[in-house]
This record gives sequence, C-alpha cells and structure tokens, in this order.
Amino acid sequence: MNESSITTPRFTYINDQKGPSAAIDVHHVIVRQSNLKGLLVCLLALCFPANGLYLFLVLDKSPFILLWSLLLSSIVLKLGIGNSVVKESVVIMPRFGVQLETHYRSGRISRHFVPVSKIVKPVLLEHVSPVTCYWILSMILQKEEELTPVFKELHPPLKMLVPIWKALCGAVSGDKDSSLHLSVEDYGQSVFS
Amino acid sequence: MAPERHRILMVSDFFYPNFGGVENHIYYLSQCLLELGHKVVVMTHAYGNRSGVRYMTGGLKVYYVPWRPFVMQNTLPTIYGTLPIVRTILIREQISLVHGHQAFSTLCHEALMHARTMGYKVVFTDHSLYGFSDVGSIHMNKVLQFTLADVTQAICVSHTSKENTVLRSGIPPEKVYMIPNAVDTAMFMPAEERPGGNEIVIVVISRLVYRKGADLLVEVIPEVCQLYPNVRFIVGGDGPKRVRLEEMREKHSLQDRVDMLGAVPHASVRSVLITGHIFLNSSLTEAFCIAILEAASCGLLTVSTRVGGVPEVLPDDMIVLAEPDPTDMVQSIKKAISLLPGIDPQAMHERMKKLYDWHDVAKRTEIVYDRALKCPNQPLLGRLSRYLSCGSWAGKLFCLVMTIDFLLWHLLKLWQPEEDIDKVPDFVIPTGETSSAFDQELDDQSSS
Repeated sequence: MNESSITTPRFTYINDQKGPSAAIDVHHVIVRQSNLKGLLVCLLALCFPANGLYLFLVLDKSPFILLWSLLLSSIVLKLGIGNSVVKESVVIMPRFGVQLETHYRSGRISRHFVPVSKIVKPVLLEHVSPVTCYWILSMILQKEEELTPVFKELHPPLKMLVPIWKALCGAVSGDKDSSLHLSVEDYGQSVFS
Repeated sequence: MAPERHRILMVSDFFYPNFGGVENHIYYLSQCLLELGHKVVVMTHAYGNRSGVRYMTGGLKVYYVPWRPFVMQNTLPTIYGTLPIVRTILIREQISLVHGHQAFSTLCHEALMHARTMGYKVVFTDHSLYGFSDVGSIHMNKVLQFTLADVTQAICVSHTSKENTVLRSGIPPEKVYMIPNAVDTAMFMPAEERPGGNEIVIVVISRLVYRKGADLLVEVIPEVCQLYPNVRFIVGGDGPKRVRLEEMREKHSLQDRVDMLGAVPHASVRSVLITGHIFLNSSLTEAFCIAILEAASCGLLTVSTRVGGVPEVLPDDMIVLAEPDPTDMVQSIKKAISLLPGIDPQAMHERMKKLYDWHDVAKRTEIVYDRALKCPNQPLLGRLSRYLSCGSWAGKLFCLVMTIDFLLWHLLKLWQPEEDIDKVPDFVIPTGETSSAFDQELDDQSSS
C-alpha cells in the first residue's frame, strides 16, 4: 500500500493506493480541526439556555421558554458542529468509476458514484465569487450541462488538486483507450441536441 | 540591462463585450503590453452570463467579477465590498501595479483605493471631459479628487483633458502624463477604389445622444442637402435622438438622401466609412475622439466641431473645424467639399499609420509604469495628510474612509492569510507543444 501526503495549515492530503496491485487510488483531503471555530459555536449555543434559565428562574417566565432555548441551542450545535465536514475523499477505480465521498462530524457519509464512461474530462478551473477566487476541480459529464465538482464542501489548495486531477485524467484516458470514446464534439452534440 | 517585466491589473467597469473608446483602449493597450513581455490581467464586472475567468487573444486574462451593474454599466458602489476580491486577485496574480480607467467607473475608484491601502502603486487614466457646475459633475469631481489625492501617476488622452483633470481634481500637473489614443490602422483601411461618380457622401457614425451633437445634425443636414443636390448622408448609430432625425427626414422629404442605418457593430464601421468622402462629427464635448482617427485612417476628410481635445487629434489638412453652431458647420462642410479633389485616401492612411500606433502608446505607458514603480512608499499617516487637503469636511471624511479600509484590510489578513491564497502559475503555451509545458508548470506549482 503506497501512501503520500501534503499538509497545509487548513488541510491534510493523503494519497492511498489499495487493493490488488494497488489498483484502487484513494485521495483524502482532511480538515485540520480549528478549535477556535468549535469554541465559538459552543459559546453561542450556551447563550440560548443561559438566557432561557435567566428568564425562567429570575423573571418567572413560562418553562416553555427554557425548552425552546434548549431546542434552539441543539439546532445551533447541530448546524455548527454536526454538519461540519471532517474529510472528503475521491476513490478512483480504473475502468470502473469514481466515488466522491463527504464525511461529516456527525458520522454521516454522503457518497456519489460516477461511472468512468460518463466522464468526458476532469478540469481545473478558477471559480470567481463576489468576494473571492479559488481553484476547483470539476468533471465534465456526458449529457449534463452543469459541471460536477469533485469536492462539494471543501476548497483544498491547488497543490492538492493537481495530483487528484492527474489521477482522474489517467483513469479517464485509460478507459478511452479501451472502449467507447466520446470526443468533446460528440459531448457538445449530446448535450445541446 | 533587461527591461523590467511588470504585472499589471487593468480595472474598469467598461470592457468587452461592450464596445467603446475606453473598452478598445484597454484591449489594445493590454495586447501591446503583452507583446512587450509584460503580464496583463483585466478586472471588470460580469456581463449577463459572462462571469468568471475568460481568456482573450494573446492570453489576456479577464476576471468578470459577479457584481451586478446598477446604472450605466457601473458596479454598485459599496466602498468596502470589493476589498476581498481585489485583494485576492492582486495576491494570486502577483500584481505589481494597478491601472484604473475612466472617472465614471465605480469599480475603478474602489479598486484603486484598496490597492493604495495595500501599498500597491496605482496609475489612473481619464478618458473624458467633465463639467464643473452641475450636480452630477460636482459629485463626480469630488470622487475623482479622492482617488487622485493619492494616485502614483495619472494619464490623460489630450492636453485639454489633462487641463480638465488637473482643474477638477487638484492633482499636481507634474504627475499627469499625456498619452493619446491610437487607431488600429490595419483594420481601418481605405477602399481600393474611392466611391466615384458625381455624388458626395457624408458619413456620420455616433451615438445619437445630446452630448454627441445629434441636435446639430437635425439643423445641418437639411441645409446642406438644399445647398448641394449631389450630397447624400449616411447616419449610423442609435439613441434617444434618433427620433428627431427621423422626423427631420420626413419633414424635408429626404428619405432618398439620408440613410439611417441604426446601430452599427464595431466590426462593420469600416465598411460604412469607406462608402463616404467626408466624415462629420458634431460632438459637443470630446476628450479625444477616436472616431475621427478611424475616419482619417479610412481616407475620409473630417469635418468636426472645435470642442475639447478634437483640435489636437488630426493635422490641419485632414480636418476642417467648426464652432458647435449649425451655420458654422454648414460653412465648414462647404469648405470640405471644395477640398475633396485634393484628398488622397491612401496617402492619408499612410500618414495615420505613422502618427498613431498602439505600440507607441504601450511604450509610452510603460515609461509611466517604470516611473510609478520608482516612487517611494509612504506609510498610512503620510498618505492621510494628502486627503486632508481635499476640503474641510471632505478631507476628514476621506481620511476616515481610508482608515477604515486600512483596518478592514488587516482584519482580512487575519481571516484569510496571504499563504492561503494560491498563486496562479504563468501559463504560456507555445504553439506545437501543449501538455508537456503545461504539466511542467503544474508540477512546479504543486511542489512549491
């Protein structure tokens, strides 16, 4: 099993090759925990029950206020920490497909499988928003007008995206050598016809 | 010593896919600077679906930032809203100098403000003349005063424009350079055979709006048609004054002598110009007027109003000037008609090639960049003193705005450190070798 890694202050990238003859290529991008963010969310979540207790005990308000504040606090914790992403993975199975996985702190894993025959080309693009600009890795898929981003939630740096992009290109070109080949022109016809 | 390679960010609300003087200036200047070996990146707002990064001819990279335009193609002014995206672009492209265009562009003013806050050298080019007395001009001039209080160098397109900018903004005149616009003479060439016959064709191509003198045309055209039965007019362009011209045509029954073409795409302007003998410009104000350059390059004799920077543009034997008055314009057209037999379109075109060239504009702009980059850096307190001189209340307000911008910049540095912003590799794809050069650049980037 071969393994290589790159580390930045925000992310850790690990490339793992598994299976017989190291055929399955796995790329993980792991979020390096920010204690500050967790602390801020906990403090915010504590404000609601503290306020509810004050209203119930000191100001003699209804106990339902305390229940509502506990409910709000649990929602804030769930959204702030429960839904935060721990890791995103790209599992490349040559001549078969690519599985995109998102692992959340709550334990939930969201998976999306793309057959390799459906991939026209993986592309590295610059995404521009009103406040920032960053690199993204996406895939052009057959019969789909929208690009499919490889990483749904995270924005890893370019130095982590490049080896994943090259691995995807290798997997796609390997499939194109063997069987059905769809050129970019054919893709255009299939989408816009 | 090898010339220094600059990394320039051009910023304006006015760029392709819009066509106009400012848009063409930025495009041609950028292309010539790329040929000189500099890196040029353009930043503008998104136009409809054209949003994100695009590449134009020569590898000119354009950021269409998804900020919606709100009035006359200008980005909504938020003062600090564009700070994060401007900072990101400056860092990821490793820009050394920011060049803003057009006083009417809010994106330009904001980008120059943020660039100065972050310590970059900035150059500003003013493309238009503005008044002093109406409410709109007073506000515009105050904004210009703010931007130019701390600009490193400024460029104007004519001496008249330089005078106007210096008076409006109070910038020291020694900081302002005069570099005229140019024309793509390869695109604007005369017809191989001049339109013959007895007929004289006068061409007008402009936006049919008040400041372009469309009201003057309404009075001039019937007068000339009455004096010269062999004169025909071709009017290209559109705008709110088109209705007046149509009414004039109907009233004087000039349907067979005045052709209204409507909006003419820029790519078709030359084909319209070469059908004529005389080009008529009736603008009430012009800092430079590229249209008469295009007409002269196509071999047409120009008749123009003597306004703004127009007298500086063409030699006296290529242009007949008139006061912006219908009677004087008719006299000037009479004079131009009498001069027509002596005009050689090819000779005129050859002279224009020598007089105006975008490569020359780029070399002169490069000198301005070199001087801007040699200017010393000043700390915030030193720069704030320049804003105080902008007015008793305005000066203090400007200082407050810059101080808040400075604080927000430092907050942004904590929120998103510079190390977290990926630098963009310089992609230069030589012809015939594609993936190997590209892969090498990416490998270098990923290993850094």
